Amino acid sequence: MVWDQDKEATKDNYASQTIVLDQILHELDTLNIEQKNNQRFRVDVSAEALPALLSLLKGRAGYTQLSAISCVDWEDEFELVYHLWSYETKVLVSAHIRIQYTPAVYVSVYDIYTPAGFFERDIYEMYGVYFEGSPMMEKFILTEWHGPAPMLKSFDTLKYVNDMFNWQEYQPDWLKEIQAKGGKVVS
Amino acid sequence: MKDVIPIQTNNTETIAVSKNSKNIYQQAIDTFSNFCRARSLFVLHYCTGCGAIELPPAMTSRFDMERLGIQPMVTPRQADILLITGYVSIKTLKRVILTYEQMQGPKYVIGICSCTVNGGMYWQSYATAKVLSEYLPVDMYIAGCMPRPEAVLTGLQQLMKKIEKGEANSWENYFKRYDYYLGNQQHLFGDTWHTPTDILEEARHYHLYGAESTGNNTARLIKYTVEHDLTKLDAPLREKDSMTKRGKK
Repeated sequence: MVWDQDKEATKDNYASQTIVLDQILHELDTLNIEQKNNQRFRVDVSAEALPALLSLLKGRAGYTQLSAISCVDWEDEFELVYHLWSYETKVLVSAHIRIQYTPAVYVSVYDIYTPAGFFERDIYEMYGVYFEGSPMMEKFILTEWHGPAPMLKSFDTLKYVNDMFNWQEYQPDWLKEIQAKGGKVVS
Repeated sequence: MKDVIPIQTNNTETIAVSKNSKNIYQQAIDTFSNFCRARSLFVLHYCTGCGAIELPPAMTSRFDMERLGIQPMVTPRQADILLITGYVSIKTLKRVILTYEQMQGPKYVIGICSCTVNGGMYWQSYATAKVLSEYLPVDMYIAGCMPRPEAVLTGLQQLMKKIEKGEANSWENYFKRYDYYLGNQQHLFGDTWHTPTDILEEARHYHLYGAESTGNNTARLIKYTVEHDLTKLDAPLREKDSMTKRGKK
C-alpha cells in the first residue's frame, strides 16, 4: 500500500515538474525543450542563456546537483552538455549548448555549481576548451603530457602511436618451441 | 590453463662473461646459492592494471604461491622480482623505472598480461607504453588478458628453473646496455629524463661496465646532470650531517 502511494506521489511530481519547467523555461527565449521520458528532459539552449537557465533550475526547480559536464567535438564546433539532477523529483535535465571551435572559450559555471570546477578542468585538459572564471585550469591527469589535447578528433592517435612506439614480433621462434611442447596459441 | 601460456622473452641475449675462470669450489658455491635463491623469492607487485586482480588468489590459499617460496614484499630494496601486472602508462613507466633502479641485483622483471607485451587492448592509446622490454630488461612475459593464477604460477616456476640454472641474467643487461635502455626512456620522457640512481657507477660496482654501457644517450644524461649540478644535490645534507657530528664532539 505504501509503495502504491509513493508511486502515485511520484507521478504527481512528474506532472508538476513539467509545469514548473514550462514556467521557468518560458522566461528564456532561444530554447527548445524535448521530453525523452518521465525522468529525462533535453534542453537545447543558446550559449549566452545557459548560465541563466542553470540559475533558474537550481534556484526555482530544485536541480541542486550538476552530475557532469560532457563535451563533444563536432569538428566545426564544440557541444557542451550540462547534466542536472533533482533529488526531489528524480528528473534529469540535460542542457545542450554549442560553442565555436576557435577560440574554444566559454564561461565557467563554478559560481552556480562548485563541482563544475573539476569538470571544466578535465574538459580543458582533454579538449582544450578554456573556461573563463574557473578556479583552476591547470593539468589534472595528464600532468606529464605536452602534446595536443588528446580527445580532439584532429589528434590522430594511431599516427602518433606508430611514430612513437615499436612493436614486438607476434610469431617468434620460441613460440613455435612452446607449441611443439604442446602449448596452444589462441589466434 | 589451456588458453594461456607463459611466454619467455626473446630478450635474453647476454654478453659472455668469463665464467669458465671460476674454480670448482666457486662453481659449487654458485650452484648452491642459485638453488637457494630460486627458493626464496620476494615479489614486489607493481599493480598497474587489471592483471593485479589475479594475484590475490595466486598468493592466498587457493593457489598458494608461498609453497614455492614466493611471497609479497613491500619495498623495492628488499624485493627480487618486479611484477608488472598490466598496461603501463607513460607516467607509470617513470615510476616503474625508479622502482626498478632501487632494487638490488640480482633482480628479475616479469611482465604479466598482453599489455606489457605489445600494448594489449591499449595498443592504440597515446598514453601507454607498448613494449616493456624496451625500457627494462624483462625476464619473462606471461601473456593473456588476464592470465589465470595457474599461468602466473607456471611462469614463476619457469623463472625459478632459469634462476637455478643461472640463466636468468637479464638484469645484467641493464648495466651492460644502459645506453640502449636510456635512449628508449629519453625517447618517451624527453632529454631531461634522469633518475637519482647513478647506473654507470653501479655498473662499475657490479663489474658489468662494458662498451655498450655508454654512448650518445648517456652522454646527454651526463651533460644534463653536470649542467644542472645534480651530482652535488646531496652535498648540503652531507655537510650538515658532518657539522652536527662535529658539534656533538
